[in-house]
Amino acid sequence: MDPLFTWIEATPFSTWLRDSPSLWVFPFILILHTVGLAFFVGANVAWDVRVLGFSPAIPLDALRRYFVVMWAGFWVNAVSGVLLLIAYPTKALTNPLFYTKLGLIALGIVLALRIRREVHGTAHGTAGVPALARTLAGASLACWIAVIFAGRLLAYTCTRLMVDTTC
Amino acid sequence: MLDQVLHAVETYLRHTPQGEFLRTAKWGWPIFESLHFLGMSMLLGTVGVFDLRLLGFARRIPIAALHRLIPIGIAGFVINVVTGFCFLSATPDQYLFNLAFRWKLTFLTVAGLNVMIFYARVFRRLLETQPGTAPPLSARMAGAVSLLAWIGVMSAGRLLTFFRP
Repeated sequence: MDPLFTWIEATPFSTWLRDSPSLWVFPFILILHTVGLAFFVGANVAWDVRVLGFSPAIPLDALRRYFVVMWAGFWVNAVSGVLLLIAYPTKALTNPLFYTKLGLIALGIVLALRIRREVHGTAHGTAGVPALARTLAGASLACWIAVIFAGRLLAYTCTRLMVDTTC
Repeated sequence: MLDQVLHAVETYLRHTPQGEFLRTAKWGWPIFESLHFLGMSMLLGTVGVFDLRLLGFARRIPIAALHRLIPIGIAGFVINVVTGFCFLSATPDQYLFNLAFRWKLTFLTVAGLNVMIFYARVFRRLLETQPGTAPPLSARMAGAVSLLAWIGVMSAGRLLTFFRP
């Protein structure tokens, strides 16, 4: 993979992302990735705790509209994440934890969609929420906590920052 | 004068048990950082979502019902005050003399004042409005200020390492 990393790191775009002194380049992308995370994971957490039985007065079909928040957060983070990857391809792609994080995000999205299908047609009350949906919501909560830990620990577990520099 | 006070605070915090713990425990800092991000998500996922409702998003959700998620946001905030205070105690010089940290405290103050005004002036009247109707201007203002203040808090927090003193 090293030749690919070397090529990406040498592109003007990658160099600009890494070396621009402007706060509106690298720091701003980090900010987008953080704010996106808060809404993406946060909306999932709110949805999960509601399915688990917290505040059953919230109509589930209305809360469904917060999937928009979830997807907005997801796309902000997909785009900002790709930009971070272009800036430092070696750093993430040589770290097994990065692939774990991507796998956990995929699992989290699958769980969210599955839970939404399970509670379809449920309006009020915990009684209406199928037991399976509640189990999945618990798994989903655990999954998002793991995503945050995996993402945050990336900075502490990388071995190579760039092709020819160590972390 | 202010500088002297800050230096005294710095010396004091540096020698607190939580400060020494976080400086020496091997995985202490990364784990506390992860908890800080988790607390942030709990806060934005409930308070941020409530703010969106105040702005008129998903109007069919009754305000009172959505408000019952707020304790989760408060729990997230408490996690972040505790972990944040530990970061501050571990390396106080990195925060006390950091411009981004002052911005973060400023945005936190704005968010706090907004909460007080919201509960003192806006919330009770808001509970009387029917689901499906447009929230009053005061509620939309409170929602907008809250959202912007919390985005400001997160942005300033993220910028801390770029403003190292």
